[in-house]
Amino acid sequence: MKNRKSKTGRKPIDRADYEERLARLSDIFRDIATHADEQALLRCPYKNRFDRCTALFSCGYKRTPQTPAGLPVCASDDQLDYRTAWETDPASVEDMRSQLSSTCENAGTVSFDGRSCAAMAGKTIFDHADELEAKVPTSCGRMGTCHECIVEVRSGGDALAPRTDAEAFLGGAYRLACQAVIETSGKQIGFELLRRTPKILVAQGRRSVELDPMVTRQDDKVYYGEEELDNYRGHLYGVAVDVGTTTMVLELLDLETGCSRHVESFENPQRFGGSDIMTRISYDGGRYHGELHTAMVNTFNTVLRGICKRLGISRHDIYEILVVGNTTMRELFFGLDVQSIGQKPYRSKIEQDYRNGSRETTGLRESARNLRLLANSNAVVFGVPIIASHVGGDIVSDLVAIDMAGRKEPVMLIDVGTNTEVVLGHGGRLMAASCPAGPAFEGGLVRCGMPGCVGAIESVRYRAGKFHCETIGGVAPEGICGSGLIDLLAELRRAELMTPKGVFRNKTQEIEVVAEHGVTLSRQDASELAQAKAANFCGQAILMRKFGVSPGEISRLYLSGGFANYVAVSSAVEIGFLAPVAEDRVVKLGNGAAQGARELLLSRQKREAVGELIRKIEHVELETTPDFFEVFVEGCQFKPMDWNSLQ
Amino acid sequence: MAELGDIGNEFLRSELEEYVEEQVERQSMVDLYAATSPSMQAIAAAIIDGRHHDVDRMTREALDKDGQALEVMDDGLIAGMALVGIKFRDNFIFVPEVLACARAMKAGMAHIEPILSASGIEPIGKVIMGTVKGDLHDIGKNLCIMMLRGSGFQVIDLGVDTSPDDFLGAVEEHGANLVGMSALLTTTMPNMGRTIEAFIDADLRDDVMFMVGGAPVTEAFAEDMGADAYGADAVECVEVAKRLTVESASARP
Repeated sequence: MKNRKSKTGRKPIDRADYEERLARLSDIFRDIATHADEQALLRCPYKNRFDRCTALFSCGYKRTPQTPAGLPVCASDDQLDYRTAWETDPASVEDMRSQLSSTCENAGTVSFDGRSCAAMAGKTIFDHADELEAKVPTSCGRMGTCHECIVEVRSGGDALAPRTDAEAFLGGAYRLACQAVIETSGKQIGFELLRRTPKILVAQGRRSVELDPMVTRQDDKVYYGEEELDNYRGHLYGVAVDVGTTTMVLELLDLETGCSRHVESFENPQRFGGSDIMTRISYDGGRYHGELHTAMVNTFNTVLRGICKRLGISRHDIYEILVVGNTTMRELFFGLDVQSIGQKPYRSKIEQDYRNGSRETTGLRESARNLRLLANSNAVVFGVPIIASHVGGDIVSDLVAIDMAGRKEPVMLIDVGTNTEVVLGHGGRLMAASCPAGPAFEGGLVRCGMPGCVGAIESVRYRAGKFHCETIGGVAPEGICGSGLIDLLAELRRAELMTPKGVFRNKTQEIEVVAEHGVTLSRQDASELAQAKAANFCGQAILMRKFGVSPGEISRLYLSGGFANYVAVSSAVEIGFLAPVAEDRVVKLGNGAAQGARELLLSRQKREAVGELIRKIEHVELETTPDFFEVFVEGCQFKPMDWNSLQ
Repeated sequence: MAELGDIGNEFLRSELEEYVEEQVERQSMVDLYAATSPSMQAIAAAIIDGRHHDVDRMTREALDKDGQALEVMDDGLIAGMALVGIKFRDNFIFVPEVLACARAMKAGMAHIEPILSASGIEPIGKVIMGTVKGDLHDIGKNLCIMMLRGSGFQVIDLGVDTSPDDFLGAVEEHGANLVGMSALLTTTMPNMGRTIEAFIDADLRDDVMFMVGGAPVTEAFAEDMGADAYGADAVECVEVAKRLTVESASARP
C-alpha cells in the first residue's frame, strides 16, 4: 500500500536502535582512522589511489600531468618525509590552480643537479627550478631587476626564448632564471646555479685574539672609535668578509665576546663576468659597468640575511663589515672603478692617489647604507689596505694571520688562487710578488676542471694501471678540482705516463681518468696547467733568488687560500708547483685571509700595525726580472724545482 | 548462505570480487548485500564509489517511498561504508577516496537527522571544526570530522585557512559550544592561540571549549595557549569531544 507520509509522519527511531548503529559505524571509522595514521608514515595522505595529488597547497612533489586536465601527479617516492615538500603559503593555492589549468606540452625536460621535470613551454627556468627544488636566489620578486637569479644553462639553451632586455648584460650560457622562458618544447634543458657551495675551508689553528674592536659600547651608546653610531640595542655584531675571485667567505662575529657566530663560504657570483681578474676588469669596463658590484652586494646580502634569520639576529645590530680581498675584488665590492688595475703599472685609483700623496692610506671606509649592505644603517664598511698592484688586502690579512711582522727566520707565504701571491720575509725584510696563474687549477680552462664543490675529484692515486679517485661528498665524479689535478699530474709523472713537457706516453691526446663518467685530461689541459703552474713557480723562484734564500733554508712555508689546504704537498713538490721545502715545514693555514680578517675585525691594535707592515713590503714585478722568460719556461715543466739551475 | 550471484547490483558484485579476497570475509559481505533491496544496494554502491549527489538523491527517494531510516542506515549507508573500510585496510584505496566516501555518507545522513530529531534524539554535541589561518592542510581535520559525525556529533566544517573571525562567527551562528582547531605547521600553530585570544577579546571564551590537534601540536603546547583539551589523533578527538561535552553540560547552571 502506497502511503506517502510527511516527514513528521515517518516512523520514529528508537534511541537504543540508533545507538547500536552508531557503535557499528564508529567501529568502522576507528579502524579507518587507525590505519590512516599508520599509513601516513609510508605514504603521503593527500595522494590518491592513482598517485595524483589532492592537496590544496602546493608541494615540491607535484608534477603537471601529461594530459592538461586533472589533478597533479605526485612524484614522491615515499622514501623521504613528504611533509618537507609541502608548500605552506595559502597564496600559492591560486598559483597552483592556474598552473593546473594551463596546458602543457609534452616530452621535453628541465634538469638540475640530477633531478628533472617536464618542460613547460611558456614557463621560465625559475618556474621549473621551483619544481626541482633548486634554491635560486632572488630579491626582486622575479622581475628581472635584482640579477641574483643568474643560472648557467648547460644544455638545451636553444629551446629558450632570446634574452630579454633585462638580461642584456649576460653573455655565453648565462641567463636570468626569471626571464628565460622556454619557447620550444621537447628539448632537454639542463641548468646550474651560479652560486654553488664550495667545500668549506676548515679554519685551522684559530688563535685567540685580544678583544679590542673598533665598535664598542659605552653605557647605552655604540661607538666606532670615538664616533657615536647608534643607541645600544642589546648586541654588537661585526662581519668579516674575504672576497676571493672564485670564493667568498663570510664570518659573523659577536664583538662583545669575540665569539664567531657563523662562517659561510660560497662561490663569488661574478662568474658570468669571466673567471679571472683580467676578464672581470674588462667586463666592468664595458657596457655593463656596475653589474659585478651589484651581483656581489646582492649575494652578500642574501647570505647574510639567511644567517641572521637562522640565528635570530637583527641586521641593526651589525655595526662593522670588514672586507679583505685582492685589489680588484676589494674595489669592485666598494663599487670603485677598476680599469687602471688592468693596465700597466696595474695600480688601482686608490693606490695611485696614495702614491701621489692625496691619500694617507689605501684602506677604504664607506657606510653600509651607501653600499646597500645589510647592516645597521650607520654601520661602517672597512676595506683592509692593499700592498701594491694586485697584491691586495687578502695578503695583508694572511700576514696578520701568521704574524709575519714578528718573524726573523726565513718565512714564505703562498696564497694560491686564480692570482697567486707570494710573500717572502727574512730578517725584517719583506718582498711580495703577484703571479697571474689564471683559473686552470680553479675549474677554468681545463675541460674537466671544476671548483672544489661536491662531485669534484680531490685526490688521485695511480696503482696497478688504474686511477683511484676520491670525490668530494663521495658522489659520482663530475670533474677534477685543483688538489685532484695536482695529484693527477704528479701520478702521471711518477708512473711515467707523461713527460716533464706534458706529452702523454704513446702520443695519446687524452688520458681517461674515470672513463665511465667521462673525466679525462687532454694535452691541451696539461698545457694550460703547465702555464698556471709556471706562474706559481716564478713567484717563488724569483723571490727566493732575490733574497738568496734556498728552499732548504725556508723555516716555514705557509699555504693559504683556495684549494691549497687540500693539496698533497708531495704531489705539489713533484711537479714543481711548490718549492722543495721539507713537508714538515709546510703549514696549511686554511683560509688565511678569512682568519686574518677575523683578527682585524676584533683587534684595533692589529689593524693599526697593518700600516707599518705594508710600508715594509717591497713589491716585486716579476715580469721586469731580466730572465723572467727563461724562468717561466723552466717553470712550465712538470718536475721538481731545481734550485741550482736557477742561479 | 547467499552467493555472489544473489546480489542484484552489478557494481557491488564486481567490487566484492575484486577487493574482498579473504573467503570468510567475502561470504559475510555477500550475505550482507544479498539480503538488501535493490534500492539499498544502489545506495551502498554510491557510498563505495564516493558519489555524494547520488547518495543524497537516492536516500531522499528511499525515505519518501516509505523506506525506514534504520533500514537506510543499516543496508545502505553502513553496509557501503563497511566495504570502504575493507578496501582502505587492504590499501586498494587511500585517504582521499575514504574522505570522498565519508562525504557521501554525510549526504545520506542529512536526511536521517530530521527523523532523529522528530524522535527526540538530538546530536550529542555541536562542534565547529577548522584548520587555522594560514594552513591549508585538511586531512587530519577531515578524519576527525568523519569520526565525530560517526559518533553522533553535529559538525560544522569551516574548512581550511580559517580566521579567528570565521570561528567566532560560526560559534555565534550555530550556537556551538565546542571548537576544534587543527594546524599542521609550526608556523601556523600560534594561530590557535590567536583564535582563543580573539574569543577572549569578544568576551566569548567562557561560552566555548577548545580542543586542538595536528602533527606539531603537543599536550604542553595546548595547555600553553589556553586550550581546554588536546587530541593526538582522530580516535582521541572523539573521546575528547565527548568528555568536553559532558564537562560543559555540568558546568552550566
